[in-house]
Parts: sequence; structure tokens; C-alpha cells
Amino acid sequence: MTPKLPRRRTPSPTDRAAIDAAAKRLELGSQPSSPGDDAQEVGTATDRALNPAVLVRPGSMRIDSEVVDPASPADPEGVGGEGSNEFAALSTSAQPVPLWRQMLEVYLQNKLAIASTFVLLVIVLGCFVGPHLYVTNQTNANSILGAVDNASPSAAHLLGTDNQGWDELGRIMYGGEYSLTLGFFAGLITIVIGTIYGMASGFFGGITDAVLMRIIDAALAIPYLFLLVALVSIFHNSTTFLLLVIGLTGWWGNSRIIRGDALAIRDLEYSLAATSMGATKAHVIRRHVFPNSISNVVTVGTFSIADAILALSALGFIGFGIQQPAVDWGTMMNFGTQELIENYWWEIYPVAVVFVVVILCINYIGDALRDVFEVRLRQR
Amino acid sequence: MLAYLIRRLLQGLFVLVAVIWFTFTLSYFQPLGAKAPAYFLCGTHQTAACINGYVQQYGLGKPYLVRFWDYLFGVAVHFNLGVSFKQTNTVSGLLGLYIPRTFWIAFFALLFASLIAVPLGIYQAWKRNSIFDYAATGATFILYSIPAFVLGFVLLDIFSYHLNVFPAQPPTDPNAWAIFQDPVGFVLPVATLTALSIAGMSRFMRSQVLDVLVQDYIRTARAKGCTSRQVLFRHTMRNALGPIVVIIGLSIPILLSGALIVEDLFNYQGLGYETIYASGLGDIYTVLGITIVVTIATVIGNLAADVALAVLNPRVRIEGASR
Repeated sequence: MTPKLPRRRTPSPTDRAAIDAAAKRLELGSQPSSPGDDAQEVGTATDRALNPAVLVRPGSMRIDSEVVDPASPADPEGVGGEGSNEFAALSTSAQPVPLWRQMLEVYLQNKLAIASTFVLLVIVLGCFVGPHLYVTNQTNANSILGAVDNASPSAAHLLGTDNQGWDELGRIMYGGEYSLTLGFFAGLITIVIGTIYGMASGFFGGITDAVLMRIIDAALAIPYLFLLVALVSIFHNSTTFLLLVIGLTGWWGNSRIIRGDALAIRDLEYSLAATSMGATKAHVIRRHVFPNSISNVVTVGTFSIADAILALSALGFIGFGIQQPAVDWGTMMNFGTQELIENYWWEIYPVAVVFVVVILCINYIGDALRDVFEVRLRQR
Repeated sequence: MLAYLIRRLLQGLFVLVAVIWFTFTLSYFQPLGAKAPAYFLCGTHQTAACINGYVQQYGLGKPYLVRFWDYLFGVAVHFNLGVSFKQTNTVSGLLGLYIPRTFWIAFFALLFASLIAVPLGIYQAWKRNSIFDYAATGATFILYSIPAFVLGFVLLDIFSYHLNVFPAQPPTDPNAWAIFQDPVGFVLPVATLTALSIAGMSRFMRSQVLDVLVQDYIRTARAKGCTSRQVLFRHTMRNALGPIVVIIGLSIPILLSGALIVEDLFNYQGLGYETIYASGLGDIYTVLGITIVVTIATVIGNLAADVALAVLNPRVRIEGASR
């Protein structure tokens, strides 16, 4: 539990730096370091610029994990010893490898993740740039007046037309713009709200935590799709509303995960140390709790985007999606299912494949990101 | 144990009251607000006298808190979820038709999913990092990313439209026992729901068994010379099977949301189908009533899971009692 401390003056910038330096040292664990390392590290200009405390306390070496890799300097030649680990081996030069480079390397070693990123980029580019290369009119209902409905794929319509005469390939790209944009921003909203709520709940603990989490219990007890349908049937389902309803209802699970992180980090030595030196609660959250739960924020955020796209498509599939003439992938699949009995495969399989591939790619990327953040954990 | 039970029951009750309050309040946000039913019932002659008459009759003009108390009381004592003005029936009367229909497909989906996913998860963990494990993990990961409707229409297209082995929709008569009389019609919807649940369940089961396999008692069992068969059946499975009740409890909301999609796709008139239908009509009270019913199902599922786990595992109830 956080010890109750008398209220102090707001720490000055120098105080803050000292607090951070001390806390970071605790944060990075108690790997023993030889005196030689100190000399080398304290000498780096970046450290001095970032942390005046270094000048005061030469012993405080590992100042900022974002700037200095703690593994490599301990063993610059890579000949093994106390601080040597697999990340030291990654760097062939004596220069310390920045953390982001290590993370990138772990990410790039994951072939499935690279493939997913590549495929996802192709699909996103296809949806946003494609319509300029493969020009079809998807917004003007007059353009489909003379069109043939349910035309099979041909040179004029690469993927045929749907049951209203819209060009199917153009429709996939146009629907993708809506599905991806709405999914991305709704996912973003869920993770922002989930993070703030979860942090508040976990950090303040006690009765606040109990109340906030009981609210989440109640919210999670309503099966999600039923809740969405209830909300959509009461409020008008405009595009903005769909964005808001998915964004404002999708964060409950997220907040639980972030709360778990905040609860654990709040009681770790470095947070207690910062508090004992007079850091305000806001400061501890900003500088210690949030940065150390960033891995879950990012991975959960990635999955949230997939979940938001799924929720939007589920709504579209049961007929509560984006209104005509705009369209989303779920609505397209809804219309496609109705024509499936006629064996008009081009109206549903292409869009379903693109849709499932997008969800799969985002989930794979989320999995890979989780591994990437393990780098930080292993450093300690 | 008793203290634990009471605490869980109170939590469940709180959740239910909170959800009923939430859905009740939502009805104030419908177009025309809380008096919307009066406007609907008056139809084309919306005179003040007509509207006031219905407002009086259904108590629509009473203060918010009074109405909420009446509603809560009605739900708790008579399971009275209000009146479906657009389908001229009480909401509970309508739901009485649909609850058993959804219950049976969800029940069988849960049954089959457990029968497949539990052995699969155990076997995967037992043969961890083998080719079989990788293949199954990959398959469940893909299955996990495929939403109900995609899986459903693919099955529908293959088995109904092309191979013509199963009908495209279950029998439409309102008989709740149709699933026993004409099981062939239910193969596709139940299969879709089953496949959906398998992914999550087998992943959960695999991680549970992996947790058990690193325990000291497994090493002890091996050290004292148990065959690997004995270790699997006597030591591993007994300890890993407890959490099954948890997944079954936790699967209920996933199953119900899945049922909503599956019932829409296969034209099966259950709770999900009725939700979509009522929502299209603007029949807000039915939609909210169904939301309460599915929430009750979820809360009961969670409660049953927790109680079963407490019965099976003394550590849970002791920890619960000391809290």
C-alpha cells in the first residue's frame, strides 16, 4: 500500500530529475555494475542534458532506459560477463543499441509479423489509394441506374457487380475506407478511455477501485452485441454514432487489464521511492505507472482495433451498419449472404477474405508487439 | 464457504440491479422520450386527450424514481418486463416463446464445444511444441479471428447450397423441442456456434494444463515412477478439469452474442432473431427486456461457475472467506 505522506510542496524541476533518476535506478533492477561503466556512462552528453542529477550522483548510472542500453555498456566487447545477455550479442559494434532498435530487431525476427504488416499495409493502401487507380463511382446513386445487377466478374467489373449494380471491387475499397477508419478510431477511443479508467482504478485503489470495478462487472455482464443492438435501436445509427457507440462501449475489458498493471506498478519499489521523495500522484502516474504499463496499452490497443472492426461488421451484418450509399464490410456481407443462394460468390467471398485477413493481420501484429515489449522486461 | 456464497450472490444482485437501471434509463432516450408508447398507441389522432389517457393508463407520467422502483419490483417479483406495444403482447410473454429456442442451440453448442475443446486443449499441452500443437494452435488462432457470420455463411454455402446435405434453416414452427424432433435442421447453426466456442476454450484449456504440468506434484509423480498415462489421467487432468466450469460460465455471453448472429443468418426465431426484429420495429421495450434476460443468463453462468469452482477447489473458498 502507498504510505500516507504529509502533503509537500510541489517538487521543483531539479527535484523531479533526482526523483526520476533514483526511481529509474530501482526500476532497472539491481544488476551490479563495475566502476568503469559509470565513468563511461556518466560521460555521455545525452545523459547530462537529460538528467542534471547525474552530475550530482556519479553512482546513478542507468538513468534512462530509453537512451542508454544497460546491457551493452557493461560489456562493450561482447566477451561475456555480468551484464552480457542476448541483446548485447545483437549489437556488433561497441555503441549501445537504443531500446527502439532492439525492439525493432525482435519485431523483424518475427516473420509472421512482417508478413502481416506487409499484407495489412497493402490492404490499407489498396482501400485508400486503389479508388484512384481503379475508378468507380460509389457515391452517386445515379451511376447505378443503368448498371447490370449481379453481373459476374468481367473486364469492365473485375469482381462483378452487387445486387444493386455497384462495382464490387470498388465497393470493397470504399467499404474498407469506412470499416478501417471507423475501426481504427473506435479502437483508439476504447484504449484511451480504458487506460485512463483502469489507471485511476488501479492507482487509487481502495474504495475507488472497488466502485469502478463493480461498474465494469455490471457492464461486462451484458452480452456485447445485444447492448450494441439496444443502443443502435434507440439512437439513430449515423456514422458518427456508430463510431461513438463502439468507442464508448468497447473499453471495459481494456480497463481491467490496465488496472491490473497499475495496481502492480503502484506498489513496486520505484513508485514508492518516488512517493517517499515527495512526488505527487500525478507525477508518479505520468512518469512511472504509465510508462511501465505501455506494453499492455499498445498490445491491448492493437487488439481493440480488431475488435472494433469486428463489432462494426457484426452490426453491419445484422443490418445496423452504415447507411447507403456509404457502406462497410459487414453491410456488404449482409447483402452478399442474401444473394449466396444464387451462387453469386463474388458478392461475398472477396470481401469476406479481405475482412478476415485484416482481422488476422491485426491480431498477429498484436501478438508480435507483445513479444517486442518483452525486450524491456528482459532487460531488468 | 457461506460467506463467500453470500458475497458472490450480493455482487450478482448488484450487477442485475445496475443493468436493469441502465436499460430502464435508456428507454427515456428513445425518440419522443418516456411517453413514446402513448404517441404510438394513439396512431394518427394524437390529440392531447388520447395521449393523456394512455399516459395515465400506463403510468408513463409518474416521476422517474417511482417508475424505476415499479419496474424493478415488477421484474423481481413477477418477471414483468413491461409491454411490447408494437407486438401487442407483454415482453415476458414474447420471451417465453424465444428463450427455450435459444437455450437449446446454445446448450448443444456448449456441450459439443466442451467435448471437443477440452480434450484438444489437454492433448495440445501434453504434446506441447510438437507439430500437432503448432497446427492446432494455428488453427484455433485463425478460428478465433473468424467472426460468427463469416464461418456461418461459409458452412451454409458449402453444406446447404452446394452439397445439399443440411437444410439452410431450422424448422420454423414455434415448438421449443424441435431440436430433438428434427436434429438435421439444427446441424449448421449449432456447428457454427460450436466452432466459435472451440477456439477460446481450447486455448484456455491448453494454458491451464501447461500451468499444471510445471507443478511440483507432477514432477513427484514422475519421480516415483508413474507411467505417463497415470501422470496424465490421475495427476494432470484432475487438477486441470476444475477450470472447465469457469470457461463454461464465461462462454455464456460469447455464445449468446454468437446466437444473435447465427439466428439472423439461419432465420431461426430465437432471442437474437427477436432482438433484431424488435429493433427494426422500434420496439424498444422488447429489446431492453431481452438485454435484461441475456444479462441474467450471464450473471447466473458466472455465479454458477464461481460456486462450482469453490466447491471443487478449497483454496478459492478459503481465500474468499478471509477477504
